[in-house]
Amino acid sequence: MPNRRYLQLDVFAPRPGTGNPLGVVLDASDMDTSAMQALATWLNLSETVFFLPPDAGADYRIRIFTPGSELPFAGHPSVGAAWAAVTHGLVTPRDGHLVQQCQAGLLQVQVEGDANTPSIAVCSPRARNLESLSAPLPAGFGAITQPGQSAELWNNGPSWWLVESASPELLRNLKPDFAAIAAWTDATNATGVAIFALEPAHGHDIAVRAFCPGDAVGVPEDPVTGSANALVAACLHAQGRLPHADGGYVASQGHEVGRDGVVAVRVDDQGDVWIGGQVQPIIEGRLDW
Amino acid sequence: MTRRYAQLDVFATRPGAGNPLAVVLDAQGLDEADMQAIARWTRLPETTFVFPAESDDASYRIRMFSPRREVPFAGHPSVGTAHAVLDAGLAVPRDGVLVQDGIAGKLPLQVHGEGQERTIAVRSPRARVQEVATPEDPRLRDALKGLRLGALPPALMDGGRRWWLAELATEADLRGATPNWTAISALAEATDSMGLFVYARSEDPVHYFAVRAFVGAPAQFEDAASGAANATLAAWLADQGALPSPDGFYRVSQGREVGFDAIIDLQVDAAGDVWSGGRAVTVVQGQLDWPT
Repeated sequence: MPNRRYLQLDVFAPRPGTGNPLGVVLDASDMDTSAMQALATWLNLSETVFFLPPDAGADYRIRIFTPGSELPFAGHPSVGAAWAAVTHGLVTPRDGHLVQQCQAGLLQVQVEGDANTPSIAVCSPRARNLESLSAPLPAGFGAITQPGQSAELWNNGPSWWLVESASPELLRNLKPDFAAIAAWTDATNATGVAIFALEPAHGHDIAVRAFCPGDAVGVPEDPVTGSANALVAACLHAQGRLPHADGGYVASQGHEVGRDGVVAVRVDDQGDVWIGGQVQPIIEGRLDW
Repeated sequence: MTRRYAQLDVFATRPGAGNPLAVVLDAQGLDEADMQAIARWTRLPETTFVFPAESDDASYRIRMFSPRREVPFAGHPSVGTAHAVLDAGLAVPRDGVLVQDGIAGKLPLQVHGEGQERTIAVRSPRARVQEVATPEDPRLRDALKGLRLGALPPALMDGGRRWWLAELATEADLRGATPNWTAISALAEATDSMGLFVYARSEDPVHYFAVRAFVGAPAQFEDAASGAANATLAAWLADQGALPSPDGFYRVSQGREVGFDAIIDLQVDAAGDVWSGGRAVTVVQGQLDWPT
């Protein structure tokens, strides 16, 4: 049986255990789709990534699996994969730049700092606003929004409903109706619902929670979600409401599920959204599958 | 500081077939909050922590955590941890026995064979026959409807948790059975039991029995590998004089219908105690770095 290099990382984590765990299989070139899915199911992490030989134009290639299915793109796996590729010598950035290949296509990656403790930012696939839903909002979300506030369906690979909470307190105290959220997101082919509130406090600018209890993911509340944070940034950018003039801000997510994730977000001059954060290496070893 | 770490598949002969378990082998210095945080982070059903023994009559100390809480005792984490301890050379069996020292006290584990063939078994709490019923019993009728039953009557067993056991006529009946979840949940609620555990004699030369465990509401799922429920079946078979071999040993296949393929070894010893166990496959072996 092949013996593969394996890492388990904590992504968007200022300290171990505060972020979103990620499994990383560094040598997966001989694994087929069903073997990758079976391992991701067994590991039971929110996502596991598999490194494969890249096509021309990319520095590395990954496939991303949840315990239930393959994802075209996801934020925390991309940040963790880039970190792993740099720290384990799979790639050498050119002028702080890498190209990641995943099912969603080629993505730009920025790398700063030295090869042992790099700081990573991944450019999310272009965000599109697919639909607006006027009040009354489903699943009881009307109770946390400003009167008449709509929900927006955005897509950057996955589709997320975005709901802005009228205050950080309402966001933190919300007891979600998971069955109603699952029904709503399943009916609209959405990955989940992300709620956010402006909260310029405690070293961050925005508080976020993400619910994905439906068929797409099957996780009631995700600890820290890259793709949803990128869509919140695109939505705020479209409304001209980014917290700072330079396009950068810090999002906090995961308190309600016992984490303390921190996502560094930046919208550049072209309107592209970059997602980054700290990565903690927790487990390093070999994997037999 | 880094600690030795392993992730195993228990009751499995190939990766992915059994019940996953994480083991932190050098747990000295981790406090309860650290252990709970690690167990939540691994997201596996159980994570165990191994400490050096504090007395001569124990091989090692163990703590077990689910992602939510500490577990005083469970079968598959005990079996898997013993495999990992032996692989790491942290303890040596005495006369084929390891003794784990945990919250539930000191418990012996039997070690048989070596290498890939090695099996480890743990003694289960004594299970008793609570009640023998007929298939027409109004509490059971709907849950058993459409199933071709075998020779032994349905019975309610108590081995810490309570299970209704029902024998099916053939392995094909068992593998093809569709659980009536509404009726099974009603049965579990009406009788304060986990649900329905069905079994059939197997034609497969590797297994003596094939089993399926249907857990009622609110969890409502089919379990892939149930050490404790299988131990109640062993006690029931012993009670009925229906053990398949004179030495009290037999092997069970479970979980194929839900994407797994677990193999569990059962033994009823001369004293009437039930031992359950099996092999384990190491999937991840490495180091864990969790600053405290």
